[in-house]
Amino acid sequence: MNTKLGALALVTFAFATLMFAQAGEPKHGGILRIYHRETPPSLSIHEEATFSVNTPAMGLYNNLVVYDQHKPQNSMGTIVPELADSWSASSDNLALTFRLHQGVKWHDGQPFTSKDVKCTFDLLQGKAKDKFRKNPRKDLFNNIVEVTTNGDFEVTLHLKRPQPSLIAMLASGYTPVYPCHVSPAQMRTNPIGTGPFKFVEFKQNESIKLAKNENYWKKGLPYLDGIEFTIISNRATAVLAFVAGKVDMTFPTEMTKALIADIKKQDATAICEIGPINVSTNLIVNRENPPFNNVEVRKAMALALDRKAFIDIIYQGAGDVGGTMLPPPEGVWGMPAELLKMIPGYGDVQKDREQARAIMTKLGYGSNNPLKIKVSTRNLASYRDPAVVLIDQLKTIYIDAELDPVESSQWFAKVARNDYSVGLNLTGNGIDDPDQAFYENYACGSERNYTHYCNKELEALFDKQSVETEVEKRKKMVWDIDKKLQEDVARPILMHARSGTCWKPYVKNMTIMSNSAYNGYRYEDVWLDK
Amino acid sequence: MSIIDLPVETETADRPESVWSKIRYHLGAHPLGSIGAAIMAVFVFCAVFADFISAYSPTATDATVRLLHPGAGHVLGTDQMGRDIFSRIIYGARISLAVGLGSTLLGSLFGVALGLTSGYVGGWVDLVIQRIIDVLQSVPLLVLALVMAAALGPALDNTIVAISIPLIPYTARVIRSNTLALREQPFVEAARAVGMSEFRIAVRHVLPNTIAPLIVIATAQLGASILTEASLSFLGLGVPEPHPSWGRMLSESAAEYVRTAPWLVIFPGVAISLAVFGTNLFGDALRDILDPRLRD
Amino acid sequence: MTLERCGALWGRAAYFRREARVGTYIIRRFFLMLLTLFGISLLIFTMLRLVPGNIADIVFNAAGMIDVAEKAKLEKELGLDRPIPVQYVEWVSGLARGDLGYSYVSEKPAIDEILPRIPITAKLAGLALLFAVTFGVPLGVISAVKQNTTLDYVLRVISLSGLSLPSFWLGLLILMAFVAYFGAIPIYTNPPKGFWNTLWLFSIPAMAVGFRSSALIMRLTRSSMLEVLRQDYIRTARAKGAPARTVNYRHALRNALLPVVTVIGIEAAFLMGGLIVTETVFNIPGVARFLVEAIRWRDYPIVQNLVMFVAVVAVSINFLIDLLYAVLDPRIRYAS
Repeated sequence: MNTKLGALALVTFAFATLMFAQAGEPKHGGILRIYHRETPPSLSIHEEATFSVNTPAMGLYNNLVVYDQHKPQNSMGTIVPELADSWSASSDNLALTFRLHQGVKWHDGQPFTSKDVKCTFDLLQGKAKDKFRKNPRKDLFNNIVEVTTNGDFEVTLHLKRPQPSLIAMLASGYTPVYPCHVSPAQMRTNPIGTGPFKFVEFKQNESIKLAKNENYWKKGLPYLDGIEFTIISNRATAVLAFVAGKVDMTFPTEMTKALIADIKKQDATAICEIGPINVSTNLIVNRENPPFNNVEVRKAMALALDRKAFIDIIYQGAGDVGGTMLPPPEGVWGMPAELLKMIPGYGDVQKDREQARAIMTKLGYGSNNPLKIKVSTRNLASYRDPAVVLIDQLKTIYIDAELDPVESSQWFAKVARNDYSVGLNLTGNGIDDPDQAFYENYACGSERNYTHYCNKELEALFDKQSVETEVEKRKKMVWDIDKKLQEDVARPILMHARSGTCWKPYVKNMTIMSNSAYNGYRYEDVWLDK
Repeated sequence: MSIIDLPVETETADRPESVWSKIRYHLGAHPLGSIGAAIMAVFVFCAVFADFISAYSPTATDATVRLLHPGAGHVLGTDQMGRDIFSRIIYGARISLAVGLGSTLLGSLFGVALGLTSGYVGGWVDLVIQRIIDVLQSVPLLVLALVMAAALGPALDNTIVAISIPLIPYTARVIRSNTLALREQPFVEAARAVGMSEFRIAVRHVLPNTIAPLIVIATAQLGASILTEASLSFLGLGVPEPHPSWGRMLSESAAEYVRTAPWLVIFPGVAISLAVFGTNLFGDALRDILDPRLRD
Repeated sequence: MTLERCGALWGRAAYFRREARVGTYIIRRFFLMLLTLFGISLLIFTMLRLVPGNIADIVFNAAGMIDVAEKAKLEKELGLDRPIPVQYVEWVSGLARGDLGYSYVSEKPAIDEILPRIPITAKLAGLALLFAVTFGVPLGVISAVKQNTTLDYVLRVISLSGLSLPSFWLGLLILMAFVAYFGAIPIYTNPPKGFWNTLWLFSIPAMAVGFRSSALIMRLTRSSMLEVLRQDYIRTARAKGAPARTVNYRHALRNALLPVVTVIGIEAAFLMGGLIVTETVFNIPGVARFLVEAIRWRDYPIVQNLVMFVAVVAVSINFLIDLLYAVLDPRIRYAS
């Protein structure tokens, strides 16, 4: 009797364990359907600067190293090998050597070798025969003197000076490895990578289709048969499509708090997450022309900003106040709250505005004699809405602003020729890293330094923090720089948005990055429980 | 006593009442038209006296009153930025009226100029202008307005110009055919015989007789231009912030809240529909009164 | 030769003169049509060049930077640095050869981008017109026959509302209603397979677009019918004792429908506006929505050729209708 019972128990237990294991076991097959918010300009990641490209294209490629796709907070500690099995730095930190995985093939069957890595960096630095049509991140790699190969499976990056952040840039979704044998022009329309998904088709304004790479070098992956992005530019239609089950997932980071509440009402089983996306809404201020060439006027404007109101109105409270670096806890380098409060404009709004009004009165302005300016911005809702709030807030300090919406095609040209007073801008940071944030946006002569802010002292500090290997020490340096930038009204940061993504419960293994919107789309181990 | 001395009091006695009784008669004979006129009057009133009717500023954002249901304090609710929708609709009447009237007037002006010249001068001038009219009519209304708006940039006056261009052809056609007919009338011959310049004849004698159909066309085009402005704003062009345009209230940001806060989407749409409906009703009645031959 | 014979010969010659007049009429109209198309090509070409920014601006804007040297290179590559008249001649001569150029955005032949999208919009437009005629004509006839009754007023109000509602608003409301009451949504995410699927997917947006056209057609049918019903020959038919049905349908309707047919041709051009916004709301990947996108991208080859295509269709329809008129209605032939 006991033995029979025991045997039955054992069998049941074994069966249950098997079932349990099966339930967690990824299923192969199925096509993940995501809606895309707009037609991406191309699928060549190196030539573009919007995550409209990273989201569909990241699955096509591999990097040397990459951020762990299942750890939401990207940091030095979450960098894992991809095409590089291992890497090491020379003792003086001036050479970074990568040992590459063997047996990797490009989508067209060609073998992947160290030459491809060299080609990628040559293209990025403009040293190759073929050129990228656009090279937005060229300056990020100025520190690389040259790239040498040692056989087919070892490559070394030689640097001018030590740069701990370099590996972070390599891990970014923005830094895939490109093949030598495919031209940049072809990479725009028919990209070839080593990644888990192959390019099938890109119908402008319609869809982007990726299919499983049967010969992916990570055996058993990907689980999905393919990914389909349907382009739906009308957000109301897109949300309705998700609720009705026509797509499995919303475009990452497009869902606002209100939309998520709406989705949950219609489909309680949907999984939704809101988090920071490391896109800051900020003001670019023209320091060379009146009226903001006057430091007092700049200061007054900085004091007038009610950041909480911005967050409440635009993001229904889903946002954070901070400086240039994404604020903690999701941001690794953001200033702590106590430090923030000490910056003018980040404290008590009423008191600050009184101070601002005093400044403006001294300059001769008043409610009967306001300062008339134009707030320029791109003619898109995500830019216009904060601009409207800004205009409303500037009224409190005797500034009568008018909205100047600029067609996207004209925006950068207009900014480049200084044809604006203050502009409302969105800055997306590819990685949560001070080197990227500071050099790209505040270094003298940088392409993306729209305001031509040039502070040699601060730049020396940029360089100082860039070589610092000890993280805590570096954080303090970064905070110091960040505080100085805000006090100098270099580019007033209004808010760091929090945005959401929703997906159906049968989409498994989906992780949304918490401090970047550009790095989490490899999707190689996402599976559908259907 | 000769017949000439007979008094003519009967005529003068009637005259002070004739205009009013004429209007009263038409109001009764065309109930739909009267409703249309009333609707239009309401919108014009709102546009002119917007400052007095609306309790709030249409552009004042307030985070504390976002997305309120229609109710006390905010008759039609508030939008996602805390702006009062009723005020935005009232001020929006100004924008719609400005764009509608502006583009219709501009379109009519050019239409009349082209039609009159074409019909009166004739010859190769007529042929060329007719081709221009053909061309303008062959490109779909919204496409033409879209490209024009894109060319000129988002601004109120640019939108007016952009919408006025596709309205020119129809006016020009009608004025031209009327001019052609009037040109052969004896009074034109007579004026020529007296030595009046062609220009004077065209402007002082032919033109006034073509105005009647113009009024009818203009009221129909008023509705069309309001709708075109709404479509342009919906597509991202048209009148920019912070002018409250009914069309833009329906696009992008508001469309997100189509289920959580449907009043954001319903009321501006009703405003547009009502305004256009009113102008159409009024235009129909006007057509019946002034020129039965022009019925559609 | 007797006088009678002269008369007969004169009559014979007149017959040939009439035929020749029809011939000249057709040839003249054809030549004018070509002239109109030429005018349209000039118009769209110049207007596009007036729009600030070109593909190079857009492409670099997407990357968040302007590299002046690279931009100049791109413009040279695409031929945008050449003088405008030269660009125009190149485009038109390409058109004549059947070479529509390459899309600036997708770098594929423009015809490969435009052609597959046309059937989709054609289906939508066709269904919309079908809906418009099926509802518009009968309702217009009823409204005319029952003039000034309550039914007439109700129908007139409904048709007027069709002309007053913004079509994108209507589309949005329809979508909302569908999701609220049926849970399903007629949105295009993949090409529909099979006849019934296609019908289901396209009929709702077609109704949103067609509502406006049906209103127009209803009003025109009504007024045209009213016009005809007042004619003497109708009164004669009635006086002769013909039943109302025969009078209305055999005599009146046939003549009333002539101007309606003209309008359908003109409506084709107006339809485009409704198609643009409806395709956006219902996410249908047709040429109308593609046109808006191409304008945003300043993709000149696509915009120019697409607008020409739409214009050719509209102008040809009008030309055919003119022809039809000339054959059917002798007054036109003599007038020219």
